[in-house]
Amino acid sequence: GDSWGIFTFLCAALCNLPALPALNCTEELGAGQSIQKTYDLTRYLEHQLRTLAGTYLNYLGPPFNEPDFNPPRLARVERVPSATVDLDLWRGLTDNARLAANYRAYSRLLCYLRALDGQAGTAELRHRLGHFCSSLQGLVLSIAGVMSSLGYPLPAGPPAPPGTPVASNDFLKKMDDFWLLKELQTWLWRSAKDFNRLKKKVPPAVVTLRLEARGF
Amino acid sequence: DSHIQYERVGADVTMKCGSMDWDAAVTWTANGTDIDESHLNGSYLILKKVDLTQSGQYSCYEGSSWHLKYQTYLRVGTPPKEPVLMCRSNNYPKGFYCSWHLPTPTYIPNSFNISVIHGTREMVCEKDVFPKNRCHIRYLQLFSTVKYKVTLTVTNALGKNSTTVTFDEFAIVKPDPPESVVAKPVPNNPRRLEVSWQNPSSWPDPESFPLKFFLRYRPLILDQWQHVELSDGTSHTITDAYAGKEYIIQVAAKDNDIGTWSDWSVAVHATPWTEEPKHLTTEAQVTETTSASTSSFMPPPTTKICDKGAVVGSGAVAVCWTAGLVLAAYGVLFI
Repeated sequence: GDSWGIFTFLCAALCNLPALPALNCTEELGAGQSIQKTYDLTRYLEHQLRTLAGTYLNYLGPPFNEPDFNPPRLARVERVPSATVDLDLWRGLTDNARLAANYRAYSRLLCYLRALDGQAGTAELRHRLGHFCSSLQGLVLSIAGVMSSLGYPLPAGPPAPPGTPVASNDFLKKMDDFWLLKELQTWLWRSAKDFNRLKKKVPPAVVTLRLEARGF
Repeated sequence: DSHIQYERVGADVTMKCGSMDWDAAVTWTANGTDIDESHLNGSYLILKKVDLTQSGQYSCYEGSSWHLKYQTYLRVGTPPKEPVLMCRSNNYPKGFYCSWHLPTPTYIPNSFNISVIHGTREMVCEKDVFPKNRCHIRYLQLFSTVKYKVTLTVTNALGKNSTTVTFDEFAIVKPDPPESVVAKPVPNNPRRLEVSWQNPSSWPDPESFPLKFFLRYRPLILDQWQHVELSDGTSHTITDAYAGKEYIIQVAAKDNDIGTWSDWSVAVHATPWTEEPKHLTTEAQVTETTSASTSSFMPPPTTKICDKGAVVGSGAVAVCWTAGLVLAAYGVLFI
């Protein structure tokens, strides 16, 4: 009754304040829906990756395209934050930390995939990679959307990739590509679980006006 | 001085009578029964192309004094064939288990050794007390990019063999089937059946790792299953059941995102609700339900009196008898 009227008035008033362009009530209300959309995106990407990885590994040739290929992880600098995590640590992540980890990982992965795109051999491969990168960018933006709608600050942008030396020979370069795809696949599996957890904790109808965060 | 001796099926076995000379006079027995001299070469016992039936206790006695000079237990068997190894995670994300067996028996004792390597780390797979031939491992880390490599070696007195499986953490996830599947008719709804079930108890964290389900159902008289996939909840109402037909229903589970479907649950049977006849006719129609194939799906005639859940044959008659009495009494009222 009356309380809803007051609420909508407040919402309209706040949304029209020019000093707070980021505050958007409809985003707040839809935090649950954006999490669902992000979850759906990770599933879609995981599915797309299966075909893309198959094609790319075939392009790299044996042994990379062999199903039992199980190389040791070389002691090179990790380019992308790994999805691997201790179980209790993963469970205990705050929503902010969970989202930030996903955001950072996919931002980096997107960078490296784009670099891959530039060198890939066949036109078909470049086309597939390009399409995948667009979808992946969509995922990064979706995660950013969820974070801002929940009032979390976005992590600082990824440092320029050439911190690691370019692989010295052709084989090592291919190994890097192999691990990049592996890491991407694992992150997509992990994200499905991350967003499942977030779905449960942020019910769709929750509205939280984070006035403090907006410097009120 | 007693030994155990292992020999391969089909091998030729020569047994010496301990330290006795070749030309000594001895008698051999197998499980207490004297062995014919034709099998002897001097004091040596020769068994050609041994088979499994020749396993047993062999004893050698000095000719005249009947002193026991040597005794051995012969076990005939085979070296192990390549074992069958399977690993599965039915309790993700806690860990996984591996179980193994030999494709053919060896007839002699075997010992198993299992090694699990994850990247550079060797992990310990703890052997289960029951069932045997099974061990389990707890995950130390989740969402690993590195594969697990499990090697099983089986060894016995006649040889050894091994097998290796390599897999990703996600690939082996397969829950146990759903539990406590219950199917009930819905009152006043002749085409509905209400099915409910529970998450398998071995799945430790359905909150964070939700399961989705696959339901299949068919009337007993048909071979074709109908399927429903459910991404949420542990119940479902079937709304297109054929009236009056007994159904068989099963449910399977899968992690929402990774791994494979469980085996089918235990089957439950249920028949949709049917209406009690409103008008009793003067003719008591005792129709027996048949479990043989019927070609039509028409609901049984409403004058049928007997309980449809009744067992075929004489049981149906017994149930109908009471109903028949009631009918007769009712009929009398109208005379």
